[in-house]
Amino acid sequence: MKPLLGTFYILGMLVPGGLGYDRSLAQHRQEVVDEIVSPWRSLETYSYNRYHPMEEIYQWMSQIREKYTEVVTQHFLGMTYESRPMYCLKISQPSNNPKKIIWMDCGIHAREWIAPAFCQWFVKEILQNYKDNSRIRRLLKNLDFYVLPVLNIDGYIYTWTTDRLWRKSRSSHNNGTCFGTDLNRNFNASWCSIGASHNCQELTFCGTGPVSEPETKAVSSFIESKKENIVCFLTMHSYGQLILLPYGYTTNKPSNHEELIQVGQKAANALKAKHGTNYRVGSSADILYATSGSSRDWARDIRIPFSYTFELRDNGTYGFVLPEAQIQATCEEAMEAVLSVLDDVYEKYWHSNSAEKAMSTAVVLSLLMSFISLL
Amino acid sequence: MTAVAHVTPRLLLLLALLRLPIRRRSAGKVRASPPRPEARLLLRASYNLSSHLPGITIHDLRVCVSPHSLPGTLPLTAPHVEKALPSPLSSGTQINQKKERKVDLVFTTELYNPEEGNKRLGKCSARVFFRNEKPRPAVNVTCAQLIEKKKRHEKDYQLYKRMKQLQNPVDVVSIPDNHGHIDPSLKPIWDLAFLGSSYVMWEKTTQFLHYYMAQLSRVKQWKTNDDAIDFGYTVLLHEFSTQEIIPCHIHLVWYPGKPLKVKDHCQEPHTPEEASGTEEGSAVAPTELSNF
Repeated sequence: MKPLLGTFYILGMLVPGGLGYDRSLAQHRQEVVDEIVSPWRSLETYSYNRYHPMEEIYQWMSQIREKYTEVVTQHFLGMTYESRPMYCLKISQPSNNPKKIIWMDCGIHAREWIAPAFCQWFVKEILQNYKDNSRIRRLLKNLDFYVLPVLNIDGYIYTWTTDRLWRKSRSSHNNGTCFGTDLNRNFNASWCSIGASHNCQELTFCGTGPVSEPETKAVSSFIESKKENIVCFLTMHSYGQLILLPYGYTTNKPSNHEELIQVGQKAANALKAKHGTNYRVGSSADILYATSGSSRDWARDIRIPFSYTFELRDNGTYGFVLPEAQIQATCEEAMEAVLSVLDDVYEKYWHSNSAEKAMSTAVVLSLLMSFISLL
Repeated sequence: MTAVAHVTPRLLLLLALLRLPIRRRSAGKVRASPPRPEARLLLRASYNLSSHLPGITIHDLRVCVSPHSLPGTLPLTAPHVEKALPSPLSSGTQINQKKERKVDLVFTTELYNPEEGNKRLGKCSARVFFRNEKPRPAVNVTCAQLIEKKKRHEKDYQLYKRMKQLQNPVDVVSIPDNHGHIDPSLKPIWDLAFLGSSYVMWEKTTQFLHYYMAQLSRVKQWKTNDDAIDFGYTVLLHEFSTQEIIPCHIHLVWYPGKPLKVKDHCQEPHTPEEASGTEEGSAVAPTELSNF
């Protein structure tokens, strides 16, 4: 137990540069009013209502793996620019059923802290409830979840140690004079055509080429290798309170645009029912701004049918620096939205038990008939 | 098209963040630049501390609004109502060949401060006017009687007292902290800083560029001879379409009943020189503000 727990922690510390997280510095940065955070030893005391530094998220992942070993496995995707390991959690109910895949990633932009908080919340909700919640149990019969809690690990750590409002990765450019690629402009979807910059100084810098960044490569390769079975691609961001459909690089609509709108709107309604929060639904080019090279657009272009970007709370009052006091409500309502999407996806592919039963009954009857006729 | 509606002298600042879709008649191709804004109007109002605007007090008043519909040739997005506010009553927008953009808005306001509850206050109407895609839109706003004048002045004076009670000199690193917390004792600083920042945001807002206050990164308060509140701070503004963070140094002087004085100095992204708010805009600056 303990050695396993220690392994990932040590792994993180041994990589060049370590995790780069100075605990004392972070505590100093916290305002006096914050409660004293007691160090947690087990999953039971892990607080999903607080923001966690990367070192704690790595520990949390391994503890989740240990505790829910019958359904959770951890998968290595690749190394970040600063040589940190990228892991995603796979949640899968062992069975003979053919499975389709739901992908969720959080924290592609470093400063959007509520997104990794949501990924952790999502995992916790699924695992704490899959045994006795029929809705979740049903989903797990035919769906596997892959969750990447923090995609831009180097950037996320940088927001804890140095600059809370950092957005990009931490790759080095122009002889070390400029840092960071906007990972959500680096995917191979009309790369750098619009809404992105070739200038490293800018926050929408698209990188030196499509999929030039190790983080983008890691996610792309993984998704490519499983794309036939992926039915839903969700990428979590903040802020803005939006559910965005493809595309950002054109106002042209994907073939299933109407369906995506319907499913999205239903999700927004489910979200609103929870705490009254309004999320708007639409294609990125229509209701936000033009972007190219986004992961969501790329996912749709490789024919993953349900591809959405969620922009979580809030609307600009606190923006990226969303108070911890709002984590719970934000996650609860977003959970409703995601589950709504998953229900619709499930219905689409495994829509009726009754249809299946009718089919199998018909088959049996016709077999019987053939038998009888042979007698 | 005649006169631009001027910012009412009484009005300290009204920040209109206008985001409208740019639709092509022909399908498909998206324009190369600038980035396309969304079909949504976000209106932030901060009012004169000695507010002559009937009923509005500086005290935690902020307005967020989305129009229910944008008539004309612009296709509609799904109607949206901000949670923070009841739905706006009506709005209209017009664009003419001279690239002027005018938006008429009717909305209701509410108290921003969550501790005081979500009190619906009253009805306002506003006209926001951009000319030639320049910043500093002209804004004209009037509101029906909201809170009585006496109560407003009380609230302003309470704010003033709380500021005065703060340990002097105030020297704070960031508000909110990185986890989003604002100590209640520091809240008045946030409120006043928001007011000053709103002016700066208004100075920079165009149809395509809109700003939010991301974080205060440094606050310093000074004593003055005449007992006014005098403090300087650095505000990090977040510009939505470029996603940039723009640091602005702001110096603010206030005494209840007197107009707010704001001096600002912003660092434009990727330019070595700092620029202060001197760019020519659509509207004449409010006369009560002085850049000293």
